[in-house]
Amino acid sequence: MLTVGPVPTTRATAAPSSAATYATLREIEGRLKSIRNIEKITKTMKIVASTKLARAQRAMNESRSYGETSNKVYETAETAVPEGGGKKLVVVCSSDKGLCGGIHSGLSRWVRRQVPGDFDIVVLGEKARAQLSRTHSKALQLSFAGVGKEVPTFADAQAIADQIVQLPGDYAEVEILYNKFINASSYEPATIAAFSEEAFLGSPNFFSFEVEEQTLPNLREFALANSIYWALCEGHACEISARRNAMDNASKNAGEMITKYQILFNRTRQAVITGELVEIITGAMASAEM
Amino acid sequence: MTYAWKAAGLTYNRYLAVAARVVRRSLKEEPRLAAERRGQMDLRFAKWTNGKMGEPQNVADANAKAYAEKASS
Repeated sequence: MLTVGPVPTTRATAAPSSAATYATLREIEGRLKSIRNIEKITKTMKIVASTKLARAQRAMNESRSYGETSNKVYETAETAVPEGGGKKLVVVCSSDKGLCGGIHSGLSRWVRRQVPGDFDIVVLGEKARAQLSRTHSKALQLSFAGVGKEVPTFADAQAIADQIVQLPGDYAEVEILYNKFINASSYEPATIAAFSEEAFLGSPNFFSFEVEEQTLPNLREFALANSIYWALCEGHACEISARRNAMDNASKNAGEMITKYQILFNRTRQAVITGELVEIITGAMASAEM
Repeated sequence: MTYAWKAAGLTYNRYLAVAARVVRRSLKEEPRLAAERRGQMDLRFAKWTNGKMGEPQNVADANAKAYAEKASS
């Protein structure tokens, strides 16, 4: 079943011994069958992803406007990350499931490109955890599982933000890394910044707001949850659309292989029949001559 | 003014989550079911120390425990 493609053909044409040809015929048939099954599976997965895509995209659009509105405070205040201050925390938003192209490895590659050693990592999703634990296990602080089964809820984001807030380290800057949805077939890693209270206090336009000191930690926690929610939803939409594309390609490849093997199968069967006919005719002629 | 929920050891997010849950539960039957689905959260997490992954635990339980600790202290 697992022999390399061209081997059965050469055997079938070079050695017309009937036992070998029958075996390869059956081999080809087996491979055909398994490819058909794979095609069925990938097609189904594609359909599932397509149906989920509309919902995921709607959630993404809503969460995007939500997150952008939430970040408007910082934009108006012109908040910037303080220079040379403290440690950075990177929150990587991927998910648990694979079979969706380069979604997870794109994020891991982004993390690997960063200057090593000066940041800690929180990972959402099993796939990115597996990839990052190989290279950045020392920097990992928290990892979450169970992300991305369904469209992310705000409750998810809040629980994650709560855990991040409880981390012992004092981070000057939190960066949320996610896959930015560009269109149905492309995405790229991008970050959303979540600022600390000090950064917000030190921002140039801070005095255009009138806030009580006490509400600042609340604002930071809430903004963190908002940004995580945005990143999760957008990452989810990217993942689903990437899975749809990946499964579309896989079905296409399987279809090509099926036609190829169908032709090979027919040819081999022809060859077997011809071989048998030749044997019968030569046998008959030999017995007639006697 | 100190907030009552802060004194009870809750974070702002937790406070919001509780408030949202109350609103959801007070809805009529049909919209309530749809709304409660939005409030579901089923995450697990693990703490990492020195490159080793800790025991995975349920986020909801861990959060509840953290609040209880803060409230008692």
